[in-house]
This record gives sequence, C-alpha cells and structure tokens, in this order.
Amino acid sequence: MTRTATIRWDEISVGDALPPMIIDVTATVIVAGALATRDFMPVHHDRSYANAQGAPDIFMNILSDTAYCSRFITDWAGPEAMIRKLAIRLGAPMFPGSTLTYTGEVTAKSIVDEAAHDGSIDIELRATNDLGEHVSGTATIGLRW
Amino acid sequence: MSTADSEQVSEYEGETFEAQLEALVGRPIGASGGVARAPDPVNQPMIRHWAAAFEDHNPVYVDAEFAAQTRFGGIVAPPLMLQTWTMATPVITGIRERGGSPVESDGSGPLTLLDEAGFVGTLASNSEFEIERYLRPGDVISSSTVVESISAEKQTRIGRGHFLTWLTTYVDDGGKVVGTQRFRIFKFKPGTAA
Repeated sequence: MTRTATIRWDEISVGDALPPMIIDVTATVIVAGALATRDFMPVHHDRSYANAQGAPDIFMNILSDTAYCSRFITDWAGPEAMIRKLAIRLGAPMFPGSTLTYTGEVTAKSIVDEAAHDGSIDIELRATNDLGEHVSGTATIGLRW
Repeated sequence: MSTADSEQVSEYEGETFEAQLEALVGRPIGASGGVARAPDPVNQPMIRHWAAAFEDHNPVYVDAEFAAQTRFGGIVAPPLMLQTWTMATPVITGIRERGGSPVESDGSGPLTLLDEAGFVGTLASNSEFEIERYLRPGDVISSSTVVESISAEKQTRIGRGHFLTWLTTYVDDGGKVVGTQRFRIFKFKPGTAA
C-alpha cells in the first residue's frame, strides 16, 4: 500500500504506538535484501557457508534491518517524514521460515525550528521473531506542522 | 623449556596481539586508506531495486511526479541506502576463500589481523546512522572509515572474539558531509560458541 499523506508533527503524542509491521521472512526475502544493499557476504545467500560458520541457515544482513526499520517508520509517518537518526542493535539472528514483527512507540517530541514549523520526534522500536528480539533501536525523525 | 616459560610466552604473545589491535584504533580501515568512492552515482535503478526488495512503497523514492510536490522537490534515495552506495563492487570468484570479503584485502588493518589470528567469523551487531541530508540521483558519494575501538577478547554465545567498531563519514562530491555511521561487528572463531 502506498501512503501518500504525511502525519503532522502536532498530530503525534508521546506514547503513540506505530502500527505493527509483519514481514514473512523467506530465503528469498533475505537474499533479495542482501543483494539490493550490495552485500555479497556468503552467510546471507549460501547455506553451506553459513553452516560452516556455525549458523543453521543463511541469515538477514544488517543493511536489510536498517532498511526495514526505515520502511516501518515511513509506512506510518508518511513520505515526507525525514529520518535523521537510526541506531539499531542486533540480538537473535533472523533465519528463513519465521515472521519478523516490528513494533514501536513515540518516546519524545521537540521543536527544531519554530518559524519553519519543523519538529522532531523520537521513536523506540524493536523487531521480534521466533527466537526472540532480533532488532532493538531508536530513531529520530523530522516532521512539520 | 618449562611449562611456566611456555605459559609466559603465550601470555606475552597475547599481549602483543592485543597491543597490535590497540595500535589500529584511530587508523583507517579498508583498502585505499579507508576511503571508498561509490562506483556509480546515486541512481534510480538501484533505488528501484532496493525499494522492491524491501517492498518499501514510499513514492518519493520512485514516483517523480509525486516527489516533485513534496518537501524534497524531486526523487530522493532512501536515506538508509547511504551505506549501499559505497559498498565495493564484489569480485565473486574466490569470495568464499576470502572469508566473505567482497574484494581482495590489502593485507593490513584489523580485519586481516583478526582473520589471521583465526577470528574469521563476522557478525554485525550495531549500526547507527545520522543523516545530514537526503541524496538525489546524480550525487556521487565517498566514504572514509576509521577504527573507533577494538574490544578485548570476549566470550559470547556465538563464540570467542573481538568487537570492532568503526566510524564512517559519507561526503558528497563537494566534500560536504551527508551522513555518518557507526558500525560494530563481532569477529569470532567459528566453533567456540559458549
């Protein structure tokens, strides 16, 4: 679904939850993400290589994780929301065959430039799979009012 | 040589290795003195490929007509593609033998040092971006990367290894910073899981 409207900064309150985003993660999803981010590390596309490294299967690369985090944010906030900061930490690995569920909430709001009607909001987010918390992090995005 | 002496030798070697790692803090990482120039300018085909892979239907990435009406005034690249533009063009042949490194290493730096000491496994653990401006098709991006820190040897559930943190600064062809990224990986010895 294409979201064409952007949320106004003054429509958001601290504590607001972002609508969850669920990704059905297959090997195709992992390989497509790795190659679209130009990450050719074999652990992200070659199962026997991943096995030799001690992993049971290929696993998602971190560039895909930051990509999905940005999509999770702009799917909710809209196309003119500007991502200013994104910091993530990886926990449990993401192997094919499980779903990845993103959740998040607004933790702070501030005014960047009153005259320009430019504000920012802070978000805490995480993504969980069958093994636990795959990603946790924070983001700061710019929105206008 | 007595057992005590052997232990002393291995301890001394351990210190030397840690000292070698420590000496790399603040130094560039990667080929060409840590500087990488994007092989291609920011471009629509790579943006479209990225948007399709992540099913990110944000119209400012692909719909010129829509994007022209927004605060961006035209197509912009997904901000989190920043790291992708300067990724090395891979040499596919031999990638497995190189431990997954997309290109031949120049034989120096912490990655080589760790690989040669048996810490050949690589797992990314943190990625922290600050985006200064959104990129547009035509922007030519370069990055420079320095080692920020290297941890002492640690046992994790994945294995024994070192956390290596680097800081990358991305600039446009006018030399202006467009974003920064702190990236942390864990280099470990496969088969040493706790």
